[in-house]
Amino acid sequence: MTALLSIEGVTRRFGGLTAIDDVTASLRHHELVGLIGPNGAGKTTLFNLISGFTPLSAGAIYFKGRRIDRLKPFDIAHLGVGRTFQNLRIFPNMSVFDNVSVGAIGAQGVGVVSTLLRRRGPAEAISEQTWAALRAVGLEAQATELAANLSYGRRKYLEIARALALDPELLILDEPAAGLNDTETQGLADFIRRLHKGGLSILLVEHDMKLVMSICQRVVVLASGRKIADAPPAVVKADPAVLEAYLGVET
Amino acid sequence: MDYYLQQLVIGLSLGMVYALVAIGFTLIFGVLNVVNFAHGEVYTIGAYAGLFVVAAWAPPLAALLLAVLAVGALTGVGLERLAFRPFRRFTDEASLKSRAMREATLMSSLALSIIAREAIELIYGSQFQTVPLKLLLNEPIRLGPVTIVNGDVIIFVTALAMLLALQFVLTRTRVGLSIRAVSNNALGARYVGVDVDRTIAWTFVVGSAMGAVAGILVGLYYGAIFPSMGFNPGVKAFVAMVMGGLSSIPGAVICALIIGVAEALSTIFVASVWQELVAYAFLIVTLIFFPRGIFGGARERV
Amino acid sequence: MSASERPGKGLSRLLTLAILIAVFALAPAALYLAGRSYLYQVANLIMIFALLSASMHLVTGVAGLLQLGHAAFYGVGAYTAALLATRFGLPFPATMPLAGLAAALVAFLVALPTMRLVSIYFAVATLGIGQMLYLIMLNWVDVTKGPNGILLFNALRIFNFDASKPAIAYYVVAVVTVVSILVIHRLSHSYYGNALRALREDDQCAEAMGVETVRLKIQSFTISGFFAGVAGALWAHTAGYVSPADFSFTVSILILSMVVLGGLGSLPGAIVGAVILIGLPELLREFKAGDYRNLIIGLVLFSVILFLPRGLIGEASALDLMRRQFAGAWRRAPDRRGGMGWR
Repeated sequence: MTALLSIEGVTRRFGGLTAIDDVTASLRHHELVGLIGPNGAGKTTLFNLISGFTPLSAGAIYFKGRRIDRLKPFDIAHLGVGRTFQNLRIFPNMSVFDNVSVGAIGAQGVGVVSTLLRRRGPAEAISEQTWAALRAVGLEAQATELAANLSYGRRKYLEIARALALDPELLILDEPAAGLNDTETQGLADFIRRLHKGGLSILLVEHDMKLVMSICQRVVVLASGRKIADAPPAVVKADPAVLEAYLGVET
Repeated sequence: MDYYLQQLVIGLSLGMVYALVAIGFTLIFGVLNVVNFAHGEVYTIGAYAGLFVVAAWAPPLAALLLAVLAVGALTGVGLERLAFRPFRRFTDEASLKSRAMREATLMSSLALSIIAREAIELIYGSQFQTVPLKLLLNEPIRLGPVTIVNGDVIIFVTALAMLLALQFVLTRTRVGLSIRAVSNNALGARYVGVDVDRTIAWTFVVGSAMGAVAGILVGLYYGAIFPSMGFNPGVKAFVAMVMGGLSSIPGAVICALIIGVAEALSTIFVASVWQELVAYAFLIVTLIFFPRGIFGGARERV
Repeated sequence: MSASERPGKGLSRLLTLAILIAVFALAPAALYLAGRSYLYQVANLIMIFALLSASMHLVTGVAGLLQLGHAAFYGVGAYTAALLATRFGLPFPATMPLAGLAAALVAFLVALPTMRLVSIYFAVATLGIGQMLYLIMLNWVDVTKGPNGILLFNALRIFNFDASKPAIAYYVVAVVTVVSILVIHRLSHSYYGNALRALREDDQCAEAMGVETVRLKIQSFTISGFFAGVAGALWAHTAGYVSPADFSFTVSILILSMVVLGGLGSLPGAIVGAVILIGLPELLREFKAGDYRNLIIGLVLFSVILFLPRGLIGEASALDLMRRQFAGAWRRAPDRRGGMGWR
């Protein structure tokens, strides 16, 4: 089976610094892969490369067999890559519903003419997709609330709902558990597992090793911009190179 | 040929005026990363204050300039207090430069500039103020084939002297060093004991004093002092700042001179009414093609 | 599913109805009873500025692009209408859409290169372009008659019908304004509006959600220009006279003040802002205080920013907007080709 997402020899330099150094990795359909690494390993950079925020210095990225590393972020989103952000980036002055609707709008597109004519079709599709995403994360009761009024934990789900509203094939989550307590993290783990069971392919960048090791099928480890391991959690856990990279600081 | 030379001289003195105004923008931008929209009004206030001093005491030019310098400094303090400080809750780098206040202070300074302009208009009326003839800086000087007026020389020399003085202040005095420190790294400056709030106030003092002097110089040069006189030089100085790369004083000065000369020379090709377009054209071209300023990459801080 | 079926939309219907009744019944009745043609002019001016402020609301309030040159598009519309009427004898129904299109075209051409500029650079670019257009109106004497302006005789003619009687002119302005504002309302209170709001809140994030940010920005800027142009045509035909002074930077700031006073992102706010900032000085003029008009505008703008950052009815705090807009603006961005100031 071909890979859904494949990263081939990707390098990214910032001036003299090589943030990502010749990384090759892939993610198959319906796979849940964790991406871990110590601080500054280049996880978020790799994320931004995939979602088109940062141009590559070398290499190529393919999604569903299509080269995407020259595309604009919105094109990549249209192809079916939904993402969240490490530091929550919700739209605070918009309601929960409106927040999530942006994902659906991104997927469906909006036009001046169809808006002015009040075409029912597109608006209905957006509305349905938005409600579906809200239901998926259990935020439908708070749909009319202002996003800024949600608790921190709920905002995380809001972000995920917004990405889900895109109806993506691949969901990439950037440190979703950051700032959550143990119970909340447990809930999140269950939620991600459910999403995965529902047929979504997921790439999870995470600091919380316990979370990654408990839910991911495969773990990719980055250190100083290089890939040092790519194996199931149990193997990675025992890998001396990984332990060394973490210097025993993490679990 | 003579005409070109003459225009060149006029352009240089004009450019020096823009440079004086641009320095205020640049200093303030360096420290706070904000655009001070009321800076043009400081220039106007300088001109009116100068006129007031002239009417009251008729002092020699040097004393007049010193008086305007003082008024400009006070205006700067007031401006900072009213339009900038209220929006500043923390003095760390993040909230100082990249947070809450940018556009808020842009609008508050804009609002304050309207208030200042309208207040001046209510007091003095919207017409041109008459400058006593003997004070006008338009005594002709013949330099070989070229005829210029003493105003060109006085403006150029005064501005140059002020630029040198500024250089001295920034590199040799405590205030100047703290201005540079805050504009480089506000948090670091704070850690080593620089009073950031005071330094910001001082930045406005220095910048506004220079802007105010530019105002009176131009007022005496053209004999045209009116409430909205600050708008055009303000815009041009702002353009010079953007062209120069936002926080580089040498860049701003050079670009101010370029704009001044380009404006003066533009009258060779087009009717003088179109002169005003030159600066805007520079602005748009810079913004679209040279977003880092025309000197490119290297962004020297103050 | 239309806008009305999105959650939380009951109140706006009532409000719309109230405004319609006020504009088409109460205000004309009051004006008729007052019986002074000067008051009709004030009413027209309020409506024209309500349209201007509503059109700027779309760009600045909803899409979050600080626009400092709106009056120039208003001017382009007014001059287009005036020139078409005087040179080619076109009637108002023809000049109005053409004025809108001319302004929209100019706005589109302005937007193409400037939309990639970030926040404050964009604001400054609009200021610069606004001033350039103003200078052209002022100095291109052959066409615009320069500072003298253009006089329109028999200004408000709808084909063969003379609508220049104050009471009729009022209704013409009211119909055009109301229809235009309803169109703007439909755009801003829809999924289209949501996409624009997302740009205001965080355009990078919106782009990651598949929203084509640059296209939407250019679109909204062009639409806003169109309605500013329509407002210009209304002004040219009701005032019967256009001159550059009516389209200067001060006027742009006046319109911005209306939007900020009403609250960024709120269409009713923008309209209320226009009513207050045009109505209040006129009211004061009755008490011989007309000279203070601009001073009052400055004071209002200043106090709103300082004490009421959300404006009267705003959905987004002005301060908040600034924070996000500007948080990214000066960030050193080695990963972006354009470098600082570009996105």
